[in-house]
Amino acid sequence: MKFSRRDLVKAAAAAAFFPLSPKAAFAGNWAALEAEARGQTVYFNAWAGSEAINAYIDWAAELLKARHDVTLLHVKIADAAEVVRRVRDEVKAGKAEGSADLVWINGENFRAMKAGKLLFGPFASALPNFKYVDTAGKPTTLIDFAEPTDGLESPWGMAQLTFFGDGAKISAPPRSMDELVAFAKTNPGRVSYPAPPDFHGTTFVKQALHESIADRSLLALPAERIDFGRAIAPLINFLDGLHPHLWRQGKQFPQSQAQLKQMQADGELLMALTFNPNEPANLIASGALPDTTVAWQYRAGTIGNTHFVAIPINSKARAAAQVVANFLLSPEAQGRKADLKTWGDPTVLASAKLSAEEAKFFGTSVVPGRVAEAAPALPEPHGSWVPLLEKAWLESYGT
Amino acid sequence: MKNFLNSFAGFLPLGVLWLGPLGAGLLAVLYGALDEAAWRALFGHPQLWPALALSIGTGTLSLIISVLLAFWIVAGLYGGKLWPGTSGLMGGFLSLPHLAFAIGLGFLITPSGLLARVIGSAAGWAAPPQWVTTQDPYGLSLVAVLVLKEVPFLIWLISAQLARPEVSQLLRGHFRVSQSLGHGGASVWLRVFIPQILPRLKWPLLIVWFYGASVVDVALAIGPTQPPPLSVIVWSDLNNADTAINARGTTGALFLTAALGCLALVFAVLKKAILPSVWRYFTRGPSRRRTPRITSGALLLFFCAVYALVFAVLCVMSIGTLWPYPDLFPSELRWSAWSQFLMSPAPLLNSLSLALASTLAALALAVFWLETVPEKLDAALLACGIAALALPSLLIADGQYLAFLRLGLNGTWLGVFLAHLTPVFAYVFIVLKGPYRAFDPRYRAVALGLNADNYRFWSVVKLAMMKPALAAAAAVGIGVSIAQYVPTQLIAAGRLTTLPVEAVTLASGGSRPLMAVFALMLAVVPATAFIIAARLGRKPL
Amino acid sequence: MTLLLENISLTIGDVLLVKSFTISIEAGEIVTLMGPSGCGKSSLLAYIAGDLTHPMYGNGHVTLDGGDLIYLPPEQRQVGRLFQDDLLFPHLTVGENLLFGVARGSLKKRQNLVSEALASAQLEGFEDRDPATLSSGQRARVALFRALMAKPRAMLLDEPFSKLDAELRHSVRNYVFAHLRERHIPTLLVTHDREDAPAGGRVFRISNKGDMILA
Repeated sequence: MKFSRRDLVKAAAAAAFFPLSPKAAFAGNWAALEAEARGQTVYFNAWAGSEAINAYIDWAAELLKARHDVTLLHVKIADAAEVVRRVRDEVKAGKAEGSADLVWINGENFRAMKAGKLLFGPFASALPNFKYVDTAGKPTTLIDFAEPTDGLESPWGMAQLTFFGDGAKISAPPRSMDELVAFAKTNPGRVSYPAPPDFHGTTFVKQALHESIADRSLLALPAERIDFGRAIAPLINFLDGLHPHLWRQGKQFPQSQAQLKQMQADGELLMALTFNPNEPANLIASGALPDTTVAWQYRAGTIGNTHFVAIPINSKARAAAQVVANFLLSPEAQGRKADLKTWGDPTVLASAKLSAEEAKFFGTSVVPGRVAEAAPALPEPHGSWVPLLEKAWLESYGT
Repeated sequence: MKNFLNSFAGFLPLGVLWLGPLGAGLLAVLYGALDEAAWRALFGHPQLWPALALSIGTGTLSLIISVLLAFWIVAGLYGGKLWPGTSGLMGGFLSLPHLAFAIGLGFLITPSGLLARVIGSAAGWAAPPQWVTTQDPYGLSLVAVLVLKEVPFLIWLISAQLARPEVSQLLRGHFRVSQSLGHGGASVWLRVFIPQILPRLKWPLLIVWFYGASVVDVALAIGPTQPPPLSVIVWSDLNNADTAINARGTTGALFLTAALGCLALVFAVLKKAILPSVWRYFTRGPSRRRTPRITSGALLLFFCAVYALVFAVLCVMSIGTLWPYPDLFPSELRWSAWSQFLMSPAPLLNSLSLALASTLAALALAVFWLETVPEKLDAALLACGIAALALPSLLIADGQYLAFLRLGLNGTWLGVFLAHLTPVFAYVFIVLKGPYRAFDPRYRAVALGLNADNYRFWSVVKLAMMKPALAAAAAVGIGVSIAQYVPTQLIAAGRLTTLPVEAVTLASGGSRPLMAVFALMLAVVPATAFIIAARLGRKPL
Repeated sequence: MTLLLENISLTIGDVLLVKSFTISIEAGEIVTLMGPSGCGKSSLLAYIAGDLTHPMYGNGHVTLDGGDLIYLPPEQRQVGRLFQDDLLFPHLTVGENLLFGVARGSLKKRQNLVSEALASAQLEGFEDRDPATLSSGQRARVALFRALMAKPRAMLLDEPFSKLDAELRHSVRNYVFAHLRERHIPTLLVTHDREDAPAGGRVFRISNKGDMILA
């Protein structure tokens, strides 16, 4: 794991002080909370990125209804930023009952909600299933884009930037940004990435930033504290060199990862990207891609992070929301989520912490489309970089 | 006194349910305009001016082309054998919402789309061509979708004008006179008919123009991206997490509206200044050119072909999963998208309930007004209605979102219902007003003379005679409500989802089959409404 | 210029509305056609002008100065028409209305033509007026000159005076006849008012059975 020492120290500190964090949401009486949650409805605002995700949430909803009498409703959103705006507006207007009870979130959106005091909690560490989380091996479960979670969000899954394409058409997948430029030169007009501020596009730009920046340690600092323009100059240089070989000479970009995926599936582009390393395998299994599809990551590593669920402060169904968050952390739920046949989203749990019984939920299947050589997960830059990066990209390439 | 009370009853529910939300929305948005920082942020946006140019350019170009094509088709076919079928057909085309059409057409014309595959299999292309079709930087595919949707609408409007007996008689007379003065059919249309019909259409044309320049969902699906039209920028600002950027969105909506308003004023002034010289040119002498029957027919055929193709493509898209270039047909067919759709019927049910409720409410409000308020006040209400439709829905919906926030209406069915009622009532009133006011008052005298009381007259005679008009208004209302994207997305605040909201969300989240299912459903519901309306409207022989 | 109507008959569906007749109208002659409503007199005019529509059908030759009009489209026949309504184009000025049937030419020449016509019509200075501001008598005169300026070789009058009040009727009628005679234009006038027929002119009547009878 390529984390700086600063990250590890922060993670250790967070982990060490967690049990002593001021007032967890309840005084350890989980049973009472479960009882309170019965009959409540949880509006889960989650990105409806694929049928797999939606189907998984439906599955979870069934079990939650049967076991805890909690009604989980999936509110499909295009971007978590919508929810941030809504909750902020509702809180400002003094609306007691919010429209969202649970939100799928991370990164700059989490930072915005945390800074705006829009989140309920801390609650995460007090969830019974939190004990399974691999906080040591996966420090991003406690530090989200260099921002400590402080228990205000509960980890749900792991993500890592992964590329994929039809192996029949790609002989040697590019395993670094420089190789990507060469690849684009030999296949002009057949490569692209989603335009920021789509979060996949922003991640691609972050990846390029990571590989082009002179001093990587700057990435962990808040962007206000450094000479941003100078720091991203090599990035802009790199993109200037890449864009002329891209689809439509880099003058237009697909607007979302979904569109990118569709263009790759249609054959218009040779490769696409995703945050879920198992998505290509999952797409093959669901018949959306041919089984010659291959997935890969860059040799030196690609950006990885954790995604979470959080509870807005004006949620009326807090108890049920916590029950749902806890369920999502259970080995059963995590196992099914990680299953390539259902969704394939990597787990946040540590296999070492699971009993033999619990480990049964996690299968290890060799399937087509799986990433052949797993690469290290590179840390995200500090959340404050994101809006500035998006603005810089828009200014340079948005017109 | 009784009349005044009567009118008051006509005003009150209208005021509460329609004028209220409309006015509140406009006030809220104007209040939001007081934010100076937001204006500064707007003018600091790097894409502002190109985006504005795109919006205005696409809206204006599509309007001009649509007017030309619409009149071309009407001129060629009016009075001929195909005419009655044509105007009915246009009504059918209208029921396919813009968004659904864009999704279908998109798949036809993208570089890896059906058209490319057909040509490619003939020309032997191994990889998709490097065409710049959808999301082209000049917005031409956006213009194409707008034109393909606007032409049937304009033809429908023109035929409604021509169907009025006073109009058709007058025009027939003019036609004969002009012929006797040596003018061929095309010349008569150019010099006599169009100049007389066009001014009658000025408000619908304004509405179409502003709609084209401020549309969001179609621009998202098929419009340019770097930069996008201003409406898309405003939309993403309004949905952003940052309040400062939300405020910038509000000012953006105002800016777009103001720009369009200025343009309309400039056009009105130019019209007064330039028009006389234009007419002088046009009256330079008769031309023998005949009505363009063949080209009109060809154009009509083209439109029908495109619509049929789009519909067929959507159907196949909804069941095909693996469909890469250069296959002309998907290699795998699954019903999974349909079963997924049927398993969560919430969007469909919400769309239906909102459409039915808002249409019925609109009909009731309109009839109430038309029965109780004297005709001379109609113009005022009509002006409000036109304003509600011409002002971009971005603007009104944003204002309503801000206003409803205070009232706690966001996220409720009632809030979305009121937001839908705003455009639905406007359209319903516009459609209903003419026929309703034209109702011969002597029928009432006859009925009363036959010992029927007022209520009996109204329910048995008047309503029955108004059936065609009511049915047409209802069909339009339902179609308008079903297609509402921007207001629903903003005001439902995630609690409610409808067909267009799902369709756009899906467009950002994958599953082409599911997106096609929603697009088809978006079309089917208004189409059914139109068919039922046509059935109900048919006079019993 | 002679307008010859040779063996003209009119049918509607299977029914013979007007039985075959032949009338020859000399230059400057005004022939009147009368008959009950629905007997087909307006339709006859339509047939001569060339825009008779389904379900009516006409048969027979219409010859103008020896040339058969049958194969010419309406706009090429050079047959002028006046209707009950003056049908002045509301979106054009009086001058533009007058010029509507006049072929292209220099601006000067056209302006002169308009001035001349307005002078003859005692409407000097009315070039730029909106037709809606004119009285019905003035409108009738403009309508006549509009037709005359297109240099018609024959004229068809379809009850053109019936909408004018009694006083106006008399003066407009004489006015129209005078100008038509002056230009030697063969004219067919359809009316249901006996008074409209010019003195000394031939009057035909269509009987209930469809016969064309010289009155």
